[in-house]
Amino acid sequence: MAWTKAFPSADLPEGEMKQFAGAAEPILICKLGGKVHAVQDTCTHDTWSLADGFLEDGIVECSLHFAKFCVRTGQVKALPACDALKVFPAKIENDFIYIDC
Amino acid sequence: MNASVQGALRSYSDAEILGMIDEKAGVYNPKIYTDESLYKLELERIFARTWVCMGHESQIAKPGDFITAYIGEDPVVVSRQKDGSIRVFLNQCRHRGMRICRADSGNAKAFTCTYHGWAYNQGGELVSVPMEQEAFGGCLNKKEWGPKQARVDTYKGLIFANWDAEAPSLDEYLGEAKFYMDIMLDRCEGGTEAVPGIQKWVIPCNWKFAAEQFASDAYHAGTTSHLSGIMAGVPDDVDLSQVAPPTTGLNVHMSNGHGCGLFLRNPMFYMTILGPKVTEYLTAGPAYEEATRRLGKSRTDVHLCHCNIFPNLSFLAGINTVRMWQPRGPNEIEVWTFTVVDKTAPAEIKEEWSRNVSRTFSAGGVFEQDDGENWCDIQQVLKGHVAQQQKFNIEMASHTITTENPEGFPGISFAYTYGEESARGMYRYWTQIMTAPDWPSIREIKPLPVAAE
Repeated sequence: MAWTKAFPSADLPEGEMKQFAGAAEPILICKLGGKVHAVQDTCTHDTWSLADGFLEDGIVECSLHFAKFCVRTGQVKALPACDALKVFPAKIENDFIYIDC
Repeated sequence: MNASVQGALRSYSDAEILGMIDEKAGVYNPKIYTDESLYKLELERIFARTWVCMGHESQIAKPGDFITAYIGEDPVVVSRQKDGSIRVFLNQCRHRGMRICRADSGNAKAFTCTYHGWAYNQGGELVSVPMEQEAFGGCLNKKEWGPKQARVDTYKGLIFANWDAEAPSLDEYLGEAKFYMDIMLDRCEGGTEAVPGIQKWVIPCNWKFAAEQFASDAYHAGTTSHLSGIMAGVPDDVDLSQVAPPTTGLNVHMSNGHGCGLFLRNPMFYMTILGPKVTEYLTAGPAYEEATRRLGKSRTDVHLCHCNIFPNLSFLAGINTVRMWQPRGPNEIEVWTFTVVDKTAPAEIKEEWSRNVSRTFSAGGVFEQDDGENWCDIQQVLKGHVAQQQKFNIEMASHTITTENPEGFPGISFAYTYGEESARGMYRYWTQIMTAPDWPSIREIKPLPVAAE
């Protein structure tokens, strides 16, 4: 694991999410209350990008089969998914987002 | 059984269908509006073989934008792709046939069947099958199980789809009608955009009443049906002798069953429907001048063109209401309407245009209600056994029809606003396409009216 520079913080508006493709696997990065969070972007139920889904109150919903996860903890919040998402440490430094991956 | 029977169960022979309009006698058979077996044949031989309008490109401007629409009774998804192209596919999951998309419109990365979760991408390709490995043992070839795709093309903002691989191109199918469509769609360099929202409502009548009226019938507007609505739109200080219903114009029959009629050089009719601001925008000033450069003065001086593109796309050029008559059995339609405006028109004009179309041609519009009342009342009368045996009169202008065309406009015209050649043309084409087994034989249909021979 190492801190990887993702993209400028300004590219990610508050309450939104974005896929980062520059790591070993796609990572979903989102900004909530000024803090950034990073979880595995691929739904644990099926091969689909969660960043293509919907984010509301810190919960991401997959647009394919409507599984839900907490973007802070990776925990499953709705079936059909049963397995949690991997969580990656994330921070903002010098206006850039960094992910430990 | 008749030798030509194919597909839908037939209750009528080809000869009986061809005889449903008798142009020489000037009559036709109202069973075309009520018969269940003819309706099923219409779905097969008309709606599954012709170019049907889906909506306007501006309704799906961005990649991922979609609307749901209908080709006859077949529900479809109309979806903007990442490369800007448009796909139209059957809104039916290939597993158990459930609707893939249940929304009217939106933006989506995928369409998931809500029954078992088969999921399709924006192009309609099957991308996910739950428990695919475990339950199907890896034997399901997802490439083969996308919904049926239609042919898609556009004409100046309007999107069309067609199931039939043998059908001619959209451009060829529209043919002469493009000349009249341009009066609405090609006034300015920027083209048109749809006012947001599609109004949809259900009325109990056959789709052909609506289609034929827009193809051919100016008669109802200037005789009794719409006079109260016209009166309601006349400004208080106008001398009523100046608002005589227009009689200078044409009734035009075109190939492929299309028809239109138009009023010439009578802007006062716009005034009563669209109000003074839009009338001025359409008939004077820079927008009028641009339109005249693009279309020629004879077309910019068309003051209202009512048109039907066979089978079920109608519009009023000038007023710019566009409607799709969605058939729901022989006795019912869903009316789907939206309004187009010149993209470059000032915001105030767009607003005024939209407001006046709502006042006149919408679910609560003063003219719309006249039309719906007439069509639905006829349909109700036709429940009567004796009423169904009567022949309807369709002889107007058949004795005076001429292929001479004083304006030089395309199609076969009759130089008076009130005529029924366009209606006869539409019904004649209806009998011909209903009895033609395939597109090579549809192509052989000749547009020339019997009366002009």
